[in-house]
Amino acid sequence: MTDAAILTEGLTKHYGDVKALVDLDLEVRMGEVFGFLGPNGAGKTTMIRSCLDLIHPTAGKATLVGLDSHADSVEIRRHIGYLPSDLSMYGDLTGRDMITYFANLRGGVDQNYVDELADRLQADLAKKVGDLSSGNRQKVGLILAFMSRPQLIIMDEPSTGLDPLVQREFQSMMREVAIDGRCVFLSSHTLSEVQRVADRVGIIRSGHLVDVESVGDLRSKAIRSIELHFDSAVDATVFESVDGVRDVMVVDHHATMSFDGQMDALLRVATEHYTLLDVNTQEADLEEIFLEYYRQEGAAL
Amino acid sequence: MLANVFTKSVRDRVSSGLIGALALAATLLFGLWAYKDVDISFYYDLPAAVLELMGIDPETFGVASMAYGAMYDFMGAFIVGGVAISIGAAAIAGEEQVGTFGLLLGNPLSRRDALVSKTASLVLILVLMGVFLWVSAILSAELIGVDTGGVHLGAISVALTLNGLFYGLLALAIGSWTGRRGKASGVAAGVMVLGYLGANLLPLIDQDGLAHLFPWYYYSSNSPLNNGLNMADAAVLGGLSIVCFAFAWVGIQKRDLRDKGAEVTMADRLRANPMTRKMMERIAGSARVSGITVKSASEFQGLLTVTAGIMFYMGFFIPILYNFIPTDFVEIFATFPDALIAMIGGVDMSTPAGFVTGEIFSLVGPIAIIVLLASMGARALAGEEESHTMGLLMANPVSRGEIVVKKALAMVALAVAFGATTALGTWIGSLIGGQDEISLDGIASISALLTLFGLVFGGVSLAVSAATGRRKFATWATTGVALVTWFMFTFLALTESAAAVTNFSPFQWYLGSDPLVNGISWTDAALLGGAFVALVAVSVPLFAQRDLRG
Repeated sequence: MTDAAILTEGLTKHYGDVKALVDLDLEVRMGEVFGFLGPNGAGKTTMIRSCLDLIHPTAGKATLVGLDSHADSVEIRRHIGYLPSDLSMYGDLTGRDMITYFANLRGGVDQNYVDELADRLQADLAKKVGDLSSGNRQKVGLILAFMSRPQLIIMDEPSTGLDPLVQREFQSMMREVAIDGRCVFLSSHTLSEVQRVADRVGIIRSGHLVDVESVGDLRSKAIRSIELHFDSAVDATVFESVDGVRDVMVVDHHATMSFDGQMDALLRVATEHYTLLDVNTQEADLEEIFLEYYRQEGAAL
Repeated sequence: MLANVFTKSVRDRVSSGLIGALALAATLLFGLWAYKDVDISFYYDLPAAVLELMGIDPETFGVASMAYGAMYDFMGAFIVGGVAISIGAAAIAGEEQVGTFGLLLGNPLSRRDALVSKTASLVLILVLMGVFLWVSAILSAELIGVDTGGVHLGAISVALTLNGLFYGLLALAIGSWTGRRGKASGVAAGVMVLGYLGANLLPLIDQDGLAHLFPWYYYSSNSPLNNGLNMADAAVLGGLSIVCFAFAWVGIQKRDLRDKGAEVTMADRLRANPMTRKMMERIAGSARVSGITVKSASEFQGLLTVTAGIMFYMGFFIPILYNFIPTDFVEIFATFPDALIAMIGGVDMSTPAGFVTGEIFSLVGPIAIIVLLASMGARALAGEEESHTMGLLMANPVSRGEIVVKKALAMVALAVAFGATTALGTWIGSLIGGQDEISLDGIASISALLTLFGLVFGGVSLAVSAATGRRKFATWATTGVALVTWFMFTFLALTESAAAVTNFSPFQWYLGSDPLVNGISWTDAALLGGAFVALVAVSVPLFAQRDLRG
């Protein structure tokens, strides 16, 4: 099996004049959880559907687990699990029937592992899926995606409707796949989840891949939030002169700001003018990084 | 068009009504054109009793009366009724089943407000259909140059609308009480088909009184086309419609509304019962999800049961019924000229085999199997796409071609079950009725050809479904092909200039050799089977080439 779980080269999809995906080059590796981020309509689902040969790209190609997404589409499906967004199922089948049906089509599914997954996700497989809540239906979908221990699991908005406890279990399951040397491709809006489980993220906007970075690199490069407490009232202009400081807000003895410069310089200025009582620094979360990307790219595009 | 529930309901449904009316108007136009050149003088030589039976007034009878009668008495009424049923069933139960009724009632709107708006939209669409058919009937006659003197086009249009309204409101009422769209449309369609059969067959055996029990009787018995609108009949249909509405008015208020969810079937209940669980798991549990073919076939168990059940009942009943037809009638049938026999599908109704062919296999059989297999063909691919399950299915190691072929195999399985049930019912009925003239070989032959005939239309539906991913397109295209080929088989056969076209109609391949009497025509069987295989073969690249929806 190849080292690249997904490899796209110039992948492009147009719907008439609408450019849903533009010249997308992306490599997703085995042994990682890859988060794919982007707002609604950015092209995430189009990318996934192109890779799965559900739609045909206008240009470019995609390789999944070393196989061509179009020519080898059937063989690829032996090695992948897929959970579509806005999951729909055969409402008149029970969860168990659904799993049996797809296990029959796929072959080689270990029923003990299915039971283990159902247990971990607290899934009710006896009820008809048409009678299940969206969260419980989603659990059946997750079992379908994981049950054959595929090399690559592609999931589009998988956490929809899951309660926090199940979300935590689901995140453990994803990490286990990566530890096992397999790959999870996770398209999501739930940035906290991506931050928690993903090794790397790709950010897409208006069909263009904006960046691919490891979560650690992104966060280290990102703006932090700084909160300073003084023994007396302070003036905002003192901090605005420091390189890397922005969005300064002062309320009485407290100053908060966004900062991506040298901490030494900021502390020097702060202590030069006032008596500093406390410093609170918060690492930027993915949501802020994400929003920052869109501010920048929005101006660029 | 999104101003309120009424306008949105009209917007959602008016296209199906107008497409139905347009198809009917187009067929009428062709019908008038074909009839114009037909020598109908033989009608005037028929005995007075036959003319009375056929609702023909010798004073006013002409091309227009014949063509409009052929169009509206049966096909028109079924199309308008079918459209009305689909609107009525979708109105409340349909919204409940897809989960939008709760969303609707999240607004300052009562259940009964919604019911009234939906009912008003149904009435408006049916009135529009009636007006459309009335105008197109007049314009067609003008265009072709046919005299419409003596026919009551306004009356037949009103009767069609009222008849359709009753079945639409019946479906609406059942949907309002149960929240089940399938039940609403199934029961209403069953009442319509049984009503048609009862109203037309019971008078043949002097059971006119019993025929009064069927609503269809109040549409057709007094022939509004030839005699004008019978106000008493119109009042009965109108009154029954009001009763249905009142029923819906009470039902929708009384019960708990359903969220979108699955229907609990008898199989589910048996599966839940510890006594029967093991057996049902084998039959309806893991067995039905063993593969694409079996699962696809199992989804149509309900429709198969209804359609094949009707055919079994008809097959059993008609050969026995023949014995009760007064000799006078049989003799009258025997006097029908060849041209008239050609017009009713080339069957000699004076013989048991002709009567069985005419009553079971000429019209009811084709309609039932087309409904079954066209629905299946449409749902096979487009249905999976529209319900967004195709992506999940395609995540498994199956090619698009394999999916098409396996769905087609499911269609074959259902068609065979339908044909076998029809044959069994007809065979038992013929044995009990003592119809020695009808052989087992003949029954097997006509049933086999009916099976292949149905598969051709299932194949059309599958191909359109594969090409477009839209169930509606597949259903309407198949309906269109069925109407055109039926028209080729019946009307064009009567014209000298276009009679050869008949040879291209699947109806001709199915019934042209009179298989109940003469046994199977292998050429016709090959034509039908070949057409089905070709349509499936075409479906594979059509499905493989395009972007999938859902």
